[in-house]
Amino acid sequence: MNGWTLSILGFYYIGLEAWCMKFVHGAMAEVHVIGQIVGATGFSESSLFCKWGVHTGAAWKLLSGVREGQTQVDTPQIGDMAYWSHPIDLHFATKGLQGWPRLHFQVWSQDSFGRCQLAGYGFCHVPSSPGTHQLDCPTWRPLGSWREQLARAFVGGGPQLLHGDAIYSGADRYRLHTAAGGTVHLDLGLLLRHFDRYGVEC
Amino acid sequence: MVSGKPHGGSQQEPAQEDQDPDTHLLSMPTQRGPRSLPPLPSASRTGFAEFSMRERMREKLKAARSKAESALLQEIPTPRPRRLRSPSEKELETEFGVEPGRETQRTVQDDDSQSYSRVKFRDCVRKIKSKPPLPPGFPSAEEAYNFFTFTFDPEPEELEEKPKAKHREGANQEEVEGEEEGPPVQGVNKTDEEELLAGRDAEHFLLGSHHGAEDFVAVRPAYYESVHIRLQKEKELLFIPSRLTVPTYKKLPENVQPRFLEDEGLYIGTRPEVPRATQNIMENRLLVQESDRRWFGDDGRILALPNPIRPSPSRPPALTQEQDIHAELETLYKKAVRYVQKTQHMIGSGDLPENFQLDIDISGLIFTHHPCFSREHVLAAKLAQLYDQYLARRQRNKAQFLTDKLQALRNAVQMGLDPAKSHKSVDITPKAINEYKSEIRQTRKLRDAEQETDRTLLKTIIKVWKEMKSLREFQRFTNTPLKLVLRKEKVDQKADEEAYEAEIQAEISELLEEHSEEYEQKMEEYRTEYQQWKAWRKAQRAKKKKKKQAAEEHPDEEVEEPSPGEGPVKPIPPEPTQRAVLEQQVRERAARSRRRPGEPTLVPELSLAGSVTPNDQCPRAEVLRREDVKRRSVYLKVIFNGKEVSRTEGRPLGADFRVHFGQIFSLQIVNWPESLTLQVYETVGHSGTTLLAEVFLPIPETTIVTGRAPIEEVEFSSNQHVALDHEGVGSGVPLSFEADGSNQLILMTSGKVSHSVAWAVGENGTPLIPPLSQQNTGFRSALKRADAISSIGTSGLTDMKKLAKWAAESKLDPNDPNNAPLMQLISVATSGESYVPEFFRLEQLQREFNFVSDEELNRTKRFRLLCLRSQEVPEFRNYKPIPAYDREIMEKVFQDYEKRLRDRNVIETKGHIDSHRAVVAKYLQQVRESVLNRFLIAKHHFLLTDLIVEEEVPNISILGLSLFKLAEQKRPLRPRRKGRKKVTAQNLSDGDIKLLVNIIRAYDIPVRRPTTSKFQQPSRSSRTFRERHAASPTTHSPTHSADYPLGQVLVRPFVEVSFQRTICHTTTAEGPNPSWNEELELPFRAPNGDYSTTSLQSVKDDVFINIFDEVLFDVLEDDRERGSGIHTRIERHWLGCVKIPFSTIYCQARIDGTFKIDIPPVLLGYSKERSVITERGFDSVRSLSEGSYITLFITIEPQLVPGESVREKFDSQEDEKLLQATEKFHAECALKFPNRQCLTTVIDISGKTVFVTRYLKPLNPPQELLDAYPNDPQATAELVARYVSLIPFLPDAVSFAGICDLWSTSDQFLDLLAGDEEEHAVLLCNYFLSLGKKAWLMMGNAIPEIWFNIQRYDSPLRVNFDVTKPKLWKSFFSRSLPYPGLSSVQPEELVYQRTDKAAAAELQDRIEKILKEKVMDWRPRHLTRWNRYCTSTLRHFLPLLESSRGEEVEEDHRAELLRQLGDYRFSGFPLHMPYSELKPLIEAVYSTGVHNIDVPNVEFALAVYIHPYPKNVLSVWIYVASLIRNR
Repeated sequence: MNGWTLSILGFYYIGLEAWCMKFVHGAMAEVHVIGQIVGATGFSESSLFCKWGVHTGAAWKLLSGVREGQTQVDTPQIGDMAYWSHPIDLHFATKGLQGWPRLHFQVWSQDSFGRCQLAGYGFCHVPSSPGTHQLDCPTWRPLGSWREQLARAFVGGGPQLLHGDAIYSGADRYRLHTAAGGTVHLDLGLLLRHFDRYGVEC
Repeated sequence: MVSGKPHGGSQQEPAQEDQDPDTHLLSMPTQRGPRSLPPLPSASRTGFAEFSMRERMREKLKAARSKAESALLQEIPTPRPRRLRSPSEKELETEFGVEPGRETQRTVQDDDSQSYSRVKFRDCVRKIKSKPPLPPGFPSAEEAYNFFTFTFDPEPEELEEKPKAKHREGANQEEVEGEEEGPPVQGVNKTDEEELLAGRDAEHFLLGSHHGAEDFVAVRPAYYESVHIRLQKEKELLFIPSRLTVPTYKKLPENVQPRFLEDEGLYIGTRPEVPRATQNIMENRLLVQESDRRWFGDDGRILALPNPIRPSPSRPPALTQEQDIHAELETLYKKAVRYVQKTQHMIGSGDLPENFQLDIDISGLIFTHHPCFSREHVLAAKLAQLYDQYLARRQRNKAQFLTDKLQALRNAVQMGLDPAKSHKSVDITPKAINEYKSEIRQTRKLRDAEQETDRTLLKTIIKVWKEMKSLREFQRFTNTPLKLVLRKEKVDQKADEEAYEAEIQAEISELLEEHSEEYEQKMEEYRTEYQQWKAWRKAQRAKKKKKKQAAEEHPDEEVEEPSPGEGPVKPIPPEPTQRAVLEQQVRERAARSRRRPGEPTLVPELSLAGSVTPNDQCPRAEVLRREDVKRRSVYLKVIFNGKEVSRTEGRPLGADFRVHFGQIFSLQIVNWPESLTLQVYETVGHSGTTLLAEVFLPIPETTIVTGRAPIEEVEFSSNQHVALDHEGVGSGVPLSFEADGSNQLILMTSGKVSHSVAWAVGENGTPLIPPLSQQNTGFRSALKRADAISSIGTSGLTDMKKLAKWAAESKLDPNDPNNAPLMQLISVATSGESYVPEFFRLEQLQREFNFVSDEELNRTKRFRLLCLRSQEVPEFRNYKPIPAYDREIMEKVFQDYEKRLRDRNVIETKGHIDSHRAVVAKYLQQVRESVLNRFLIAKHHFLLTDLIVEEEVPNISILGLSLFKLAEQKRPLRPRRKGRKKVTAQNLSDGDIKLLVNIIRAYDIPVRRPTTSKFQQPSRSSRTFRERHAASPTTHSPTHSADYPLGQVLVRPFVEVSFQRTICHTTTAEGPNPSWNEELELPFRAPNGDYSTTSLQSVKDDVFINIFDEVLFDVLEDDRERGSGIHTRIERHWLGCVKIPFSTIYCQARIDGTFKIDIPPVLLGYSKERSVITERGFDSVRSLSEGSYITLFITIEPQLVPGESVREKFDSQEDEKLLQATEKFHAECALKFPNRQCLTTVIDISGKTVFVTRYLKPLNPPQELLDAYPNDPQATAELVARYVSLIPFLPDAVSFAGICDLWSTSDQFLDLLAGDEEEHAVLLCNYFLSLGKKAWLMMGNAIPEIWFNIQRYDSPLRVNFDVTKPKLWKSFFSRSLPYPGLSSVQPEELVYQRTDKAAAAELQDRIEKILKEKVMDWRPRHLTRWNRYCTSTLRHFLPLLESSRGEEVEEDHRAELLRQLGDYRFSGFPLHMPYSELKPLIEAVYSTGVHNIDVPNVEFALAVYIHPYPKNVLSVWIYVASLIRNR
C-alpha cells in the first residue's frame, strides 16, 4: 500500500468520523471528580481546617457541585493527622483539555483562643486518568520579614497572599520566601466520559 | 581526609598503592572485622602505558631536580655534609613531598622488567634479609617507603614474620622521624592478629625502648629556596603573557581589515564584561599558544557569546525583598483573628469595591462667540482665531519642511543621474529615479499649496485687522484690547532674488522635463492610435466599396452607415509644450503663492496692548451692552454618567468673554465611567438660567494621571437664538459688517472650555483607575499576564502610536531578539494601521484545541438540564433523574422554563381580570424571584445546629425528673400531649408524612330553620352594635344540654377536611353543639418530592375544614309506599369553613385550639340564633353567641423540625449605635424569656434592615371613609378597620418561600394590595394614629417605643397593656439611650385614587359570567338552570350587605326573600372576600358545594357585587343559592 492510498484512507477515516459525530451530537466530554479531602499531616500546628477550591480553564463548565468550600476544624487526639474527610463532588463538562481542573488549598490553624492563622497554601492538579487516586499536596506559606516571623511566633497571625490566585498561577514566585507546611491528602476518583470521541485516550 | 598520610610525598606516583593504606588507616579504629581489606589487586596490573608515562615524568623531574640541586649546591654550601649523610632524596620526599617517585624510580631501575609490586616486595624482603649489619632502626629509604605505601599481598604465609619485623622497624622509624602523624601507624594491610601484635610492639616500644633516641635523630636545617631562585626556575618553566594590548593586525590574518558586524547593521549582543587587562593577557596567551588565530573574530576581538548573565539577580538578597515584589505575590501580615461565624452574611452588598477617583480640572472658558459680542468682538474673535491658526502653522512650518524635502529629492536625483559625482556607491536604478521624480512633483504641489495657504492666511489676518481698525474708527470707541503689529523682516535682496530665480528655473526645467516626457508618451500613444485609425480607415474603405457593390445589387437594402462616434476618431498629434508658456505659468504661480523676491517677510504679532475705551466715552448702546455682559455669569455642571455630580461656582462673564474657574473636582467613582459631560449654563441677572451647550469630555486613558495631564480645550457651540436690543450682535441672527447689509453671516454662541481630566493617584502612588471593564474583572489579572507588551515592563498600553513613539525615543535595538515581538507589534500597528485586532483572546490556542464549539456545548440538553438543576431554578429544582444521553431528553422539558423567561416582562392579563392586579401579581412575582435568588446562597449556609443534633447529656435534674416519672400514674386523669421526637426533614419521602386532624367539637352551629314556618315572624334582634361587641367571645361553654324543640333535630353537622385533593370526613353528629372527637389522617405530599425545610415552608396548600349539615329529604313520591321502604335523599348544606394554611401548621408544629368558623353572613334556611331558647326566656347572654366555633387539634406526624427564619443580617442604613442597642436589647430579653419573640428591626422590601418604629407614623385614611361617618369616630374606626381588612392577606412565608418576613411600607402595601399580618397591622395602626387614637402595635413590642413584655405570661389575653408600668414592660429606649427621633420610612401622605366604578362594574359582570360558567362546568351531567328573578333580587340585596358590613341584615333579608321567593326551598349564602384574584373566588364558590345538588328541578342563582374602595381595594360579594320549588 503506497502512501497515496494511505492518505486517501486517512481522509476517508476523518470524513467518516465527522460523519459519525453528527449522530453522536451532544456527546460532550464530561469529568466527574468524586472524592474527599482526607486530611493533613505534617503541620506544626494542630486544630487545622482547610479552605479549598477548584480552578479550571475557560473551556470548562461546572455542571453541578460546588467549586469551593471549607472543612471543619479538626483537632487530632491521636496521631498528628488531622482528618477532615471533606467530600468533593464535581461534575464538569469541557470543550477542551486546556485548563484541566486544579485544586487549591489554604490550610488554616486555629489556636486555643479561637483565632485562625494561615498554615499553608497548596495546589495540585486533578489527575487526568480515570480511577481512584491518592494525592498528596504539599503546602507552603509565605515567610515574611523577620519582624513578621517574630510576630507570628509570639502573637500569631502571619503574612498571607494578597491575591489568592498566586497559589495556582505561575506568577514569578521566586521572590517569595516561603516555609514548608505540611501535606494535604486527597482521595479522588475520576470518571471521564466521551473523551475518546475527541481522540483523547484515557 | 588525606591528612593522615604518612608520606605525603609519595602518594603522587604510586597512586594505586597508597590509596588503600589511607582508607585503611582511617577506618582502622572502627574495623575489628575479620579482614579489614580485601586483597588488592596488586599494582602489578599497572599497564605499560602508565609505566612509560611514569618514566617520562621521572626523566623530567630528574632534570629539574638536578638543576635545583646544583643551584642549592651553589648557594648553600654549608649543609652539604649533613645532606650527604642522609640521603637527599629521602629528605625531599619526606619534607617537601616534591620528589615523588624517587623510590619507585630506583626500584624500577633495579628491576624494571619484572612486575612492579612483586619486585618491590621481593626486593625489600631481600634487603631486610641481606642487611642485618645495618644499625637497627635504620631501614633504608626504600624500606620505609615500601612499608607505608606498599600493598602487600597477603598470600605468602612464610613471610608472616618478615612484615612483622619490618613493621617494627617502620614504626620505629616513624617515631624517630617525628612526623606530625603522632601515633605509630600500625597494621597496614595486616590481619587482626598482626595488628594486635604490632600494637603490642608499639606499646612496648613506647614504654621502654631499648634503643636510644639519639640514634635515630638527624638534625637538619630548615630548607629554604630563595625567591630569586624560585622565580628563575619559574621563568624557565612558566610563560607569563604580557598585559599590554595586542595590536589588531596581530590578531587578524594578513592584509585583512577588521570588520565590524554591528556597523553593518547586524545585531550583536552585549559581550560579557571582562577587564581590559585580563582580556589582553588572554589575547597574548592565545597568540603565543594557538598560532592559527581561530580564537579571534572578524573584528579582531576574542570570540564571545552574548553575555548570558542577567542584568538583575534572579535571587534577591534576603533582606531587600520588600522592595520589589510583584503585585500578585504581595503578602500582607494579618493578625490572627477570631473566626467570626459567618452568620452575618451580608446580602446584596458583596465586597465593597474600591473607590477610584477621577480629577476634573476646569480651568476656564472662553467664548469665541457670544450674543453680547459687539461687532468689534466678532472681528477680534476672528482675528484671534486666525492668529492662532497662523501660530500653529508657523510652528509646524510645513512649507519649510516641504521645501527642504524637495531640495533633498532634487539632490538625490541629481546624484542618481550623475553617478560620477556620487562618492558613495549607491546605485540608483532608473526606477528609483522615476520614483524620486514623481515624489518631487507631489512634494512641489504640496509645498505650493502650503505656501499659498500661508500667504492667504497672512493676507486674511491683515484684512481682518484693517476691518477692525476701520470699525474702531467708525464707532469711535474700542472694545477689545487686541492689537496687531506687523513686523517686517528685511531680507537680502540679491540673495533672495537669486534663490527665487533659481527655484523658478529649477521648477521650469523640471516641468519641462515632465512635459517632454509626457509629450513623448503622448506621441507614442498618438502613433499607435494613428496606426489603428489608419487600419480602420482602410477597412472602412474596403467595406464601403463592398457595400457600394452590394447596394448596387440590392438597392432597396438599407446600407448601414457607421455612426461617426463609433469608429476611432482621427487622433490629433499632441503639441509640444513651449518653454515660454511654462515659464509664464510658473511665474504666475510663484507670484501668487510666494513672497516676491526682496519683499520683506511679514510677521504678524497679536498683542493685548490696546486700551479699551471707558464706559463714559461710549455711546449708550455700547454701555448697555457692557452692562448686560456684567450681569451675565456662567457656571458649569459636571455630569457623570448622565447624573449631575457637581457644579462650578457661577463666575461673572468678563469683558473679554473669558471666565476663569480654576476648580478641580474629584469624583469618587466605582465603575469605569461611561460618559463625562460638562454643561455650560449661563445666568442672566437673577432672571434665569439657560443651558448653553453640552461639552463631552473624553474619558482619559489609564496612563493619564493627575499632574501629568495636559490642559486641553474642547469647543462647544449652542444653537440658541438671541437677539439683543443693544450693541450686542446676538446669536443665531444674521449679521453683516457691510453698510448695505449684504454678506450676512450667522454666528452661533460658541466657545472653548479648557480642562483636564485625569485619574487621581492614590497614597501609595498607584493610580486610582477602575479596571477597564469591570464586568469581567476575573479576566483582568490573566489579561495582564498575557499582555504582549508586559515583556518590556509596561503593561496595559493600548495606544500603539504612543508605543511606537516610545520605542523610537528609547532607541530600542530592532535587531535584538528580545524585542522582536514588540517590534513586530509596532510594525503591524504603525505601518499597516489597517489591522489591529480589536479583541483580545485570552487563551490564544484554546479554539484550536477545542473539542466542540461553545454553541454546541450550550446546545446540549443534558448539560443544560444539569446546570439548571444545580442552579435550583424552580422548574428543575428537584428534577431527580437526568438521562445519561442527550437524545433521551425531550425538548418539551424546557418549554415551561423558556416560556417563563419569555414572559418575564410581558404582563399576562388574561389570567387576571383586573389589570392592576395583574401588574401587582407580576411585580410580586419579580420581588419574590429576586429575593429568592438572593437567598439561594444564604440557604446553603449552615449553622452548627443545622448539622449537629446533640442529645443533651442528662444531668441531675433530668435524672431526677425521670425518676419522678416512674412514680407517675400510668393513665393520668388529665392526659397531656407528650412531646415527640423531631425529625429533620431530610430523608423523607412521599407517604412518610401525615397530617393528623383531630376534630373535637364545635359550638353554636347554625340550626335549620323550618322552611314551613313561614308564618313564624322572626323576632328581630334588638341588639345594638355596641352590645354585641361588649359580649365576650368566651361564652361558648358547651351546652350539650340544649334541648331540641319538640325533639326535632336542629342540625346534623359533619366535618369534612380536605387537604391536597384528599377529603376525609367525620361521622355525622347531631345538634348545634356536636362533639365528634375523631381523628382524621391525611397524607401529605411535598411539592416535587422535595422535603427540604424551605420547600416545606413554601407549601401553599391550605387545610380546609368545612362543616356541612346533612339533610335528609324524603323523596318518596307516593305516601302509600311509606310503609314498605324509605326513599330519602341526603343533601349536604355548607355551613362554614375554617381555613388553616399548611405553613402555619408546619411552623407551629401543632395547632390546638378553638377557631371561629367562617360562616357567611346570611345562611338561608339556617339561623345562627336559637330563637327557641330566647323565646323560652332563657338567659339571653348565653345565646348571644357571635359565631360558631370548632375545636381542633392539628399536627404533623412525624413531627418535623420547623425551618428557622432567616438569620442573615442585612444591610442597614440605621445608625450603628442603634443597631448595637437592638442587639443588646435582644440579648437581654432572650435571656429572660427565650421563647418570646422580640422584634426590633425588620427587613423592608428591598432587603434592608429597618428599625421597626420607622414603620409607624400617622397616615391619613382615605377621605371617603372619613366622610362616611363624620360624627361617629367609632364607626369611622370600624370602617377604617374594615377597609384594612379588605386588603387581601398573603403571608410572607408563602410568597417568599419561608425565607423571611418582609415588611413593606403602607404605600407599598396599598400598591401591592397584598400583605402579611404585620402590614395590615401597621396600616391600621397608622390610621388609628392619624385618627388621634392611642394605638400600639402588639408584637411582643409596642409602639411608639419598643417594649418587651416582661410579665409572666405571653398569651395576649393575660397581658397587662399598661405600658407605663416599667415593672411589666421593658422599654427599649431609656434614659441612657434616648429616642433619637427616627424618621419614618413611611410616606408623608398616602394618595388615594378613587377606584373606577365603571371598571368595578365591568369586573363584576365578568366575574359573574365566569362563575356561572364554572358552576355549569361543575355540573356536567345536569342541566343548570338560572333563576333570573332570584338573581336580580340577590343582586339588589348585596349592596345592602356591603353597607352594613354583613351584619344586621339577615332578618330583613330573610323576610324579603321569603316574600319574593315564597314558593321555593332556598339554600344559599353570600360569600364575602377581599378581591385579589379570580381563583380564590372560584375556590370559595366551589367549596360551598352549592352545585352538588342534583335534584332534578333545582334552579340556581348567583349574583356578584363589587364595592370599590379607594386605591383599588375591592370588596367582593358573591351570592350563591340553590332553589327548589316547593310542590
